[in-house]
Amino acid sequence: MHAISVENLCVKADNRHLIENITFSIEEGRIAAIIGPNGAGKTTLIKAILGLIPYETGSVTLFGHLFKHGNSHNKIGYVPQRLEFDRTFPLTVSELLHFTIPPRYSFPFHRKKGEEAHIDRLLKTVGAQELKERRIGSLSGGELQRVMIAKAIVNGPRLLILDEPASGVDIEGQERFHDLVRRLNKDKGLTVILISHDLNVVYRFADDVLCINRRLVCTGRPEETLTDDVIKSVYGEMMGAYIHSCHEHD
Amino acid sequence: MNMISEYLSYPFIQRALLASVMVGILCPFVGNFVVLRRMSFFSDAISHSAFAGIAVGALFGIDLSLSSVIVAILIALIIAFLSERTTLSHDTVIGIAFSGAIASGMLVIGMLKGYRADLFTFLFGDILAITNNDLLLILIVSVLTVTALLAFLKPFLQITFNRDLARVEGINVRFFEYMLFLIIAIVITISLKIIGIVLVTSLLIVPAASAKNLASSMSRLFMLSSVFGIISGVAGLAASIYLNTSSGPTIVLVSIGIFSLTMFKRGNGH
Repeated sequence: MHAISVENLCVKADNRHLIENITFSIEEGRIAAIIGPNGAGKTTLIKAILGLIPYETGSVTLFGHLFKHGNSHNKIGYVPQRLEFDRTFPLTVSELLHFTIPPRYSFPFHRKKGEEAHIDRLLKTVGAQELKERRIGSLSGGELQRVMIAKAIVNGPRLLILDEPASGVDIEGQERFHDLVRRLNKDKGLTVILISHDLNVVYRFADDVLCINRRLVCTGRPEETLTDDVIKSVYGEMMGAYIHSCHEHD
Repeated sequence: MNMISEYLSYPFIQRALLASVMVGILCPFVGNFVVLRRMSFFSDAISHSAFAGIAVGALFGIDLSLSSVIVAILIALIIAFLSERTTLSHDTVIGIAFSGAIASGMLVIGMLKGYRADLFTFLFGDILAITNNDLLLILIVSVLTVTALLAFLKPFLQITFNRDLARVEGINVRFFEYMLFLIIAIVITISLKIIGIVLVTSLLIVPAASAKNLASSMSRLFMLSSVFGIISGVAGLAASIYLNTSSGPTIVLVSIGIFSLTMFKRGNGH
């Protein structure tokens, strides 16, 4: 079954196509990486899929149902590229997770026993138990990312969308983060779409790759799809040579 | 001690005390969202828009509280609509609506004949002039507002934290934002008689900002802001009676005093 099918998606701004006629499908349980140079429309594609920006034409089908904004029914978990929030916001990690758990319209400071246990389990899954009572604004980049993953999966989504999740995190943090994503994919059967600039990550973690430069340039398994010619055509000569050397080292 | 019990036996003091407690809970409760969402300029614009409503009410002989609520809600909706539909920044839209409302109010006030003391009650507030009807209105609005905010606190806080994440989680961001604008407009206008147009925003912002300086969690933020609001209201009222000063400015100065102390505590903590 397809976790997501995107058909002829076009997004326009100021009479200019940001993305044009993008069509692809991702099988359930796969990790798909979206790559492309800066300004290629990767984040635009993700935001259009999520209904955060309107699209001119096209459709998005999620687990066999036509998806319109507001009807995800918690099927999608999302971690944005740069989380913009007030760092002085006196919100603890456990409060953030608690506010995301249904029922949506209930007294928020009263926690049921089951909810507390659920939050503990989630934080353990992402390796953030010790952060439970910390303020969100006091977390480091890597810690915040793990907490945001916990928030994204709090209601048991079937699709997890990560927009450059490891940007601004040190090498060790990135490794830990990608291991976590792989574990969630294996253990919970989550389908994952992640935007990444790091082609090494794509080779190591992704089952499928979607190469985008306003249009869909290529799609398939990374080792078969990301040929030198494809990479050069998307990123230019320099990147082609770099990837070639990465391949040889692997 | 005798003096306190003597003052407390006066019905107008009892009403003022009750009003200061209710507004002391209500304003900071809503003010938390004003502070967290950086909407101080918006709330200032709404309170000054009420001036136009009062002027229109005085001109046409409508109840001033009612006319101020209607105009404040109208201006809040215009600001929300224009912010959404134009490429202008939020503060530019607020600035335009704000100056438009003030100019209209001044124009209408100029058309009124004679001296209108009741207008000054709204401009500078007079907690000692609160009537039983005012008290009942404040009680009803307080109960409804706090209940609505508590019932919808999860979506309100999710939107405050990050709008995009809230939308992905299926929250109708536009609905809740309009609802918050309406709540702010209503709370401001019912507090006008107590604190006045000029100072009402401070009752929303200052206790909430003081609580934000100290709170380590959202639950503490809501609790502390209400405590600071009640202390400001009651201590400010008591001080104004004892010192024979205007109640509105005294309440605000007490809340500023609490804010200064929390700044000191925050400075020590960091």
